[in-house]
Amino acid sequence: MSVTDPDADRIPDTPLFDRARANSGYALNKMAMGLSSPDGRAAFLADEDAYLARFALTEAQRAAVKARDWAEMVRLGGNLFYILKISAVDPTPIREIGAAQAGMSLQEFLDTRLGKVTNG
Amino acid sequence: MAKLLAGVGTSHVPSIAAALDKGLRNSDEWKPFFDGYSPAQDWVAQHKPDIAIVIFNDHGNSFFLDRVPTLALGVADDYRPADEGWGPRPVPNFTGATDFAWHLADCMVEGHFDPMICRELDVDHGLQVPMELIFGRPEAWPVKVVPILVNTIQYPIPTPQRMWDLGVLLRKAIDSYPTDEKIIVMGTGGLSHQLQGARAGFINPDADREWIAKIGASPERYRSMTREEYVEEFGSEGAELIMWLVMRGCMDEQVRELCSHYFAPASMTGAGMVLLENMG
Repeated sequence: MSVTDPDADRIPDTPLFDRARANSGYALNKMAMGLSSPDGRAAFLADEDAYLARFALTEAQRAAVKARDWAEMVRLGGNLFYILKISAVDPTPIREIGAAQAGMSLQEFLDTRLGKVTNG
Repeated sequence: MAKLLAGVGTSHVPSIAAALDKGLRNSDEWKPFFDGYSPAQDWVAQHKPDIAIVIFNDHGNSFFLDRVPTLALGVADDYRPADEGWGPRPVPNFTGATDFAWHLADCMVEGHFDPMICRELDVDHGLQVPMELIFGRPEAWPVKVVPILVNTIQYPIPTPQRMWDLGVLLRKAIDSYPTDEKIIVMGTGGLSHQLQGARAGFINPDADREWIAKIGASPERYRSMTREEYVEEFGSEGAELIMWLVMRGCMDEQVRELCSHYFAPASMTGAGMVLLENMG
């Protein structure tokens, strides 16, 4: 297991945002961080390709953003707290982003992971 | 001398903020969650603290990955709500407890904690939501705030024991502060949740309930757990719970639980609170 292998999770299916991920995802997260300003959001909405071209994304990262492939963005070093800002310009519920990463339909995700309400 | 009035541990889930903004406080989905905070709101309103020290993590809103302070301390006069992508939320600005914050900066550095000192800082849901859960939605906040920000996103994050030790230091700062102001300390984050990877949606209500039951009376296990054990038990973002240890570490060994509440799932998170006061 190499320390630079982003797929080498110490805890199964749990991508800790460590050196390897922070390195490989830096440009992707920086692109998403740009969406925390009104100017960045307007630029993304006006011409997504031109906005993405401002950042040194890999071709795979660019394709993952264009496809709104959340699992792939995370696999390529994206951190949810940054890439979630994409869902502010292209509205996507957080639970759908969760379901997509789990490889489930939204209903299956809700039923198997979040379904049982507990209170008090 | 300043008085440590109480310690609060609470979630700071952003969906709570969204629910409030959409007027869903009393909806079928959210009412049971919010009602669970009413006893704590009432107690705090009766006891009228002057200062709230809020320990939270920024979620990629005020700090980017170009510089990641492991610990940061706000000394600003005024904190604006951050733009998290949807524009700043319509909550009042937060007034800083500037004098106490600088006193704490001195105490931290003398005590070998070295925070980044922040004079201009927007604060995200990590501070906003706990304030709304404890103080409601007033025209102006009834307390001044001291933000303490902990990196819980990029590894290495600080250890649970370090958070506890920061709490011990924080207590010394409160006890040595020469005013008669009343202070509450709010450790925030959690409870169990995971937003990233194929285990996204992981929650652990049994572990959450045990945490709430034991954080006051017998927190020893939580000090000695590793960060990886937090992630396994509470999910990758559930490791935010280490910030409750700052609150617990600043209180007496013997504490009394005034009220607690648990609800799951709030969006994708086990959510809840505990309100503690010192026995003595």
